[in-house]
Amino acid sequence: MLRTAIARSGARAGRSFVPRSQWQQFRRTLADAPTPDRTVLPGSQSTTTAGVPQPPILGGHPPAPHQAAAAAPMPVPREPPAPSTNTGNLPPTGQGTAATGPSSALPPRKPRRRFRRFVLTMLILTTLGYTGGVWFSLQNDNFHDFFTEYVPYGEDMVAYFEEREFKKRFPVKDYEAKSWPQMRGENKVTIGRQSGVGPKVAETADAGKAQPAKAQQSPGSASPREKTQAVESAKQGKDASKSTGPAAPRKDTESSARKSASGSGSSSAVDHLGVAQASEPVVQNLVSMVNGVISAINASPEDASRYASTVQTMKDNVEKVIGEIGTMKQSAAHETEGALRNAHTEFDQAAKELVRRLEQEMRATESKWREEYESEREKLSTSYQNKLQAELEAAQKVADEKNKNALLEQEITLQKAYMKSVQDKVEEERNGRLSKIDALSESVQDLEKLTGDWNEVVDATLRTQHLQVAVEAVRAKVLESDYPTPFLNELVALKEVSKHDDIVNAAIASINPLAYQRGIPSPAHLIDRFRRVAAEVRKASLLPEDAGVASHAASAVLSRFMFQKKSERGLPEGEDVEATLARTEVLLEEGDLDAAAREMNGMKGWAGVLSRDWVGECRRVLEVRQAVDVIATEARLQSLLVD
Amino acid sequence: MADSTSASTPAMPPPVRANRPMSEALLNEKWDHCLSTLLIRSTLGASFGVIFSVLLFKRRAWPVWTGLGFGAGRAWEECDSSFKRASFPSRDGLRVMRP
Repeated sequence: MLRTAIARSGARAGRSFVPRSQWQQFRRTLADAPTPDRTVLPGSQSTTTAGVPQPPILGGHPPAPHQAAAAAPMPVPREPPAPSTNTGNLPPTGQGTAATGPSSALPPRKPRRRFRRFVLTMLILTTLGYTGGVWFSLQNDNFHDFFTEYVPYGEDMVAYFEEREFKKRFPVKDYEAKSWPQMRGENKVTIGRQSGVGPKVAETADAGKAQPAKAQQSPGSASPREKTQAVESAKQGKDASKSTGPAAPRKDTESSARKSASGSGSSSAVDHLGVAQASEPVVQNLVSMVNGVISAINASPEDASRYASTVQTMKDNVEKVIGEIGTMKQSAAHETEGALRNAHTEFDQAAKELVRRLEQEMRATESKWREEYESEREKLSTSYQNKLQAELEAAQKVADEKNKNALLEQEITLQKAYMKSVQDKVEEERNGRLSKIDALSESVQDLEKLTGDWNEVVDATLRTQHLQVAVEAVRAKVLESDYPTPFLNELVALKEVSKHDDIVNAAIASINPLAYQRGIPSPAHLIDRFRRVAAEVRKASLLPEDAGVASHAASAVLSRFMFQKKSERGLPEGEDVEATLARTEVLLEEGDLDAAAREMNGMKGWAGVLSRDWVGECRRVLEVRQAVDVIATEARLQSLLVD
Repeated sequence: MADSTSASTPAMPPPVRANRPMSEALLNEKWDHCLSTLLIRSTLGASFGVIFSVLLFKRRAWPVWTGLGFGAGRAWEECDSSFKRASFPSRDGLRVMRP
């Protein structure tokens, strides 16, 4: 089937393919110079490509395009005749051979190409759909959920694109640049040996002279080079001071020697020990400064001679300055003495004032305390007075109450005595009459006993009457109804009436609950149902043991041809189904439900199965009837026992 | 018995119960079930036959008849077993407890 279908579709494709080539051919012939004596059959050109021998070329009249189809009906040797399907606007001309023959060479290639195209299309569509899904899931959250859940590998794809987007937004390069270069093992910082703060010995007083000015700066602001320079210069200065310490006196002697050697040209240095106020450090400084200048001038003899007068004036000035320093010192000493004296007097006055104030304050506090003490004493005395008053009043009240209570007790005792005397009087009076009442009550009790006995008799008769009424009600409901009626209410009433009667209770208990809940069918109903059951049983009367479908069908058919046993001339004997059914029908019509149920109960196999419900119903009816009979008998017995 | 307890005081005769058939209708019910089974299974078999015939056998007629036969045979077998089971209740899986 598949093959033929494919072949058919291929043929159709070939046919549709041919007219197009025909068209192209004709168009070309019309556009170019037409060859007048040659006609090409439609579809013949395609055969040349497929290697089929060419159909004969027909000479004659140049054909118009619409005559090409008219030329078709000509018999062509190798092509099988096929009905022409497309003949332009001409009427069909019977056997059209055009175009169907050569197409048989094409079909094997078609399906493969179609299949390939199908696969290609599906691939493209799938890719497009997948790409579109991924793109749209990046746009839409709902679609993202759907796509990642239901499309295989969709989650991975979407995750990949999201990761890319994330990377594009937050490039990883920044994080790497942020980590410390030490961690990457580059650019280790080396700290120079000279940098930082070095240890230094505390300077002595005369070393301070040689201290370079720059060393005093804060170490933070100085560059390392400056610091090292400072330290080195400090060391040099110390060395110098060491050397100058012992050499100072020698220097003076040297300079004086040089002065004498140089003659009048050179001026002598100032004697720093001989100056007035030699002990002052300021003076010593000044002198050494001047000596420095003088020694510098003495170094060259020309300068010494030239500046001799100047040096002399400078020396005089130094003397003058030293004198002024002395006067300044004296005046300062005077001033300080005056200031000291003033301060002493001020302190004395302040101390006196202080003592006076302290005494005043002490006096004031003493008077205040005395006043407070007085007021406190007043308060205490008044409070004690009040307390005393209150205690006195309370004692007075207690005494009053005690008096009142004593009076009340006396009154109560008096009243009790009065009551007792009255009661005694009343008792005496009562005892006299009570003896008569006893006799009266005895006679009343006798009467009560008598009425009680009579009441019991009346109750028993009432109970039996109720029982009989209830039994009658049940009987009416059960046996005289045309259709099954539930008699639950009647049964409940019966049970209420005979609560303590064991026989009635047992009889009620013997009834099947289904019977009083549903009701029991009437005899007519039972007979009607028996007829239906009999028809069914008859159908299954011929079944063997363990019967299948075939036996059932055969039994149903064949039992229709059996004669039914009639019971007009006595009951039929035998154990077969027909005889049993005939006997049961007779017994039912006679009203002997018990015997009928017995007959039917004896059936076996499918007949027994089919009649099971009917037998059960019969049994229920018999049970109810028996129970009602028993209860009725009991009721009669009760009514007899009463009298 | 569920409906029997609930119907305590019905005024009218209670309707025939639908869940359990009356014993005399037992066979008829079985026949109904058998016929319906036969129809359904035969149709199923025939339709499978038609499908196979169209797909594999070039529209021959015999697969249809074979399918029909299979269906009818299954229905027959089921019916047979149901009839046999009904008269003798199955004793499969029952055990006897010895004292």
